[in-house]
Amino acid sequence: MRDLHLPLNQTQRVRLEAALHELQTLAPAAASAAAVTVADNIPVNHEDNILKGHGTTDQDGEVVATLCGVVERVNKLVYVRTLRARYKPEVGDIIVGRVIEIAPKRWRLEINFSQDAVLMLSSMNLPDGIQRRRTAVDELNMRSIFEENDVVCAEVRGFQHDGSLHLQARSQKYGKLQRGQLLTVPAYLVKRRKLHFHHLEQYDVDLILGCNGFIWVGEHVVVREIADLKEDEQKLSAEAETFTPIETRRHICRLANAARLLSALGFTLTVELIIQTAEASVSSNVEINDMLGAEFYVQTAEGEAKRRGDLLGKKR
Amino acid sequence: LISGDLNLDSTLPSKLPPPPVFRSSAAPPPQGSPASRRARDDTMVGLSEGEKHFIRGGIAQDLRADGRRRLQFRALTVETGIIPQANGSARVRMGATEVIASVKAELGKPTILHPDKGKVSIYVDCSPTAAPMFEGRGSEELSAELSVGLQRCLLGGKSGAGAAIDLSSLIVVEGKACWDLYIDGLVVSSDGNLLDALAAAIKVALSDTGIPKVNVSLNNETDGEPEVDISDEEFLQFDTSGVPVIITLTKVGKHYIVDATSEEESQMSSAVSVSVNSHGQICGLTKRGGAGLDPSVIFDMISVAKNVSQRFYTLLESAFAAAEAVADE
Amino acid sequence: MSAAAAAADTYSPAAEAGSKRRERREELRRHLAEDADWPRADGRSLHDCRPAFMQTGPTTAASGSAYAEFGKTKVIVSVFGPRESKKAMLYSDTGRLNCSVSYTTFATGIRGQGLENKEYSGMLHKALEGAVMLHTFPKTTVDVFALVLESGGSDLPIIISCASLALADAGIMMYDLVTSVSVSCLGKNVIIDPTSDEEAWQDGGLMVSYMPARKEITQLTLTGEWTDGKITNAVELCMDACSKLCEILRERLKDPASLASE
Repeated sequence: MRDLHLPLNQTQRVRLEAALHELQTLAPAAASAAAVTVADNIPVNHEDNILKGHGTTDQDGEVVATLCGVVERVNKLVYVRTLRARYKPEVGDIIVGRVIEIAPKRWRLEINFSQDAVLMLSSMNLPDGIQRRRTAVDELNMRSIFEENDVVCAEVRGFQHDGSLHLQARSQKYGKLQRGQLLTVPAYLVKRRKLHFHHLEQYDVDLILGCNGFIWVGEHVVVREIADLKEDEQKLSAEAETFTPIETRRHICRLANAARLLSALGFTLTVELIIQTAEASVSSNVEINDMLGAEFYVQTAEGEAKRRGDLLGKKR
Repeated sequence: LISGDLNLDSTLPSKLPPPPVFRSSAAPPPQGSPASRRARDDTMVGLSEGEKHFIRGGIAQDLRADGRRRLQFRALTVETGIIPQANGSARVRMGATEVIASVKAELGKPTILHPDKGKVSIYVDCSPTAAPMFEGRGSEELSAELSVGLQRCLLGGKSGAGAAIDLSSLIVVEGKACWDLYIDGLVVSSDGNLLDALAAAIKVALSDTGIPKVNVSLNNETDGEPEVDISDEEFLQFDTSGVPVIITLTKVGKHYIVDATSEEESQMSSAVSVSVNSHGQICGLTKRGGAGLDPSVIFDMISVAKNVSQRFYTLLESAFAAAEAVADE
Repeated sequence: MSAAAAAADTYSPAAEAGSKRRERREELRRHLAEDADWPRADGRSLHDCRPAFMQTGPTTAASGSAYAEFGKTKVIVSVFGPRESKKAMLYSDTGRLNCSVSYTTFATGIRGQGLENKEYSGMLHKALEGAVMLHTFPKTTVDVFALVLESGGSDLPIIISCASLALADAGIMMYDLVTSVSVSCLGKNVIIDPTSDEEAWQDGGLMVSYMPARKEITQLTLTGEWTDGKITNAVELCMDACSKLCEILRERLKDPASLASE
């Protein structure tokens, strides 16, 4: 627990340790056995003709890990899935990224991958929504679609021959994200699921869990016609009192803090868990800022331990 | 057992990942503000217009991105005695900002101009481990700015009046020997409000400092040079009641905020760092950020900083008491 | 007046011994004990500034330049540019202001290194950036080089005032001229425009950079212990002096002679 810098008092420390111990015993025993660090031997049955995958190497006939993580076995393949490494994209992943450069016909995005992702102008829905050839004029107007530093939501399209990663944003739901905050969490805390866009109607909030560990919590945006969007832009630049309504902002901050808290505790982030945590903070009258305080950390860890315990009990 | 269900993240406490740093991803340098007189962004935080607007809105509505109010601080934790080879040391964390201060005392000679005083030097280093942009010469400007800011707030006037550390208490033998106090600050990780954190760390480190007791025997044989015998058992506690804290008020729009994160700092028009001692006296002030301020605004900021400083003192004291309690266990 | 001549006239050959300086300090302390409106070493009263001599155009190569002489303090500032920013600098839609303050090797009593003073460079930048309309010259850099020929106290405020005169001379768009004045606190007294001796023994110091026409403070620094009332008084004193100094700057800029000499 060295890394959780919390001013815990004696009782809180005992409670947190108990909760974490509980979680540990609840986890399948194989989980901790499968954890390896660099230079650990990976036990394999050599008669099976195993395939050595990512993060493993051969040393005197033994399979040795070269990464810290969990050993995964798929048929004959043995590989190490890392926890702390950067995001590894897979085709179809929904990611949130930040534009870092505008190059000819393309934007470059930082997505927590080892290289920058590329979003081609041709993989983008044009502002007028018509499918047509991209002209030189469109190219000149690229900055009016995305600027440097804009937060963009897109989908992984695939790798090019040269190994560069390409994205696409051919739908109304993709595009620029405004009025909200971006959180970054370790990518492994976001599991691939069917849904990554969540419109939480009760809060009027959009929650996007990018597979790359970038999480967007923002004011809900209605998918609108382009004309409206333009108008919106003007409003934004005028900065006439167009700030997010205070009620929505409270929800955004609460959900964001729930996500921060859960990732600090190392729990997988799911929309249910985030909402649950946010609701728990409301029902126990925890101020938004105090959600990051020691007491609520302990409370959340205990709650999660209990939930997993119940889940396991039911299965049995 | 399906390997996909493995959830190692909740298995071993020791395997818990370090808390992630909540900052926007490494992004390119900021664009200058469009046609406004906003100060050049000091930190390399890249934010889109939408996010900037959201931050400004939050400050105007008194609900900041992490749920704080405008004059609320982040959670503060303190550790003392983290560097055994120093005479005193402290680590201070405010949210994702983490700084270390160490105090080292060495015997030296007083200067000719001030034969009755010891010497104090303050230096701040920004480690490249905090952010890649601190690598090489990248941190020089920031280091220098922080060092100067701290010197101004802690060393008082040239005559020594109003100094946080009484220089004449550092004298061993007038004109012959004195303590040289080397105060070093290190920025371990940076998420805004570095000056306040460093000042708090120095204050705590000084309270942690023990200066060895010395026995002086004047010896005629050695040409009037005093023989100084340093005790390694007895230490003198340092009086830190006069050491001030620094409160930086960052002005965003019409409002001021305390303990700004680097994202919020990138939106500032100007910032005023006021150092206030425990008697509520102002003992140093620096304005950062370029935009001009109306004099009445500055006076208002000073009085706000004075009020806030009392709260910060209590916060720091309770954090310090907690640290002492942990150390005693 | 050429820079070289100014330097030759005022070069002080010997470093003063520490004992001599201490004597002077005792004298200063005695004055303080009497607590009267004593005349200062140079005959000024507490709230009198030194006579300011300022001139534009001492250097010909620069886009704009200014020379300032306040008592013993002599400063020369050259402004170059705006010129295109180096490739290494990233794209920016506002201009950059690059400030550098250096001392000549003979500027102080003890022969110095003639190095750049990083602290003052940063402070000069902060004092000016609020006044210069940086967005009027995107992608370009303006260099402000200040050289202290002789350091006689209140160096930084004089550099700031002189730099804003040089910027105006160079035709850089500004919101207002920035003038700067510092005060020293000695005992109960607050003295304006201190000399280096007075600065060396001050209990506290305060410097204000001010844009008189816009009534905005661009930079404010304070050292030593101050009470609220004293800060207010001292800031107001500085602001008043800044406004008067600004009038001198304005006259200098209007002066047909200085226009003709360009």
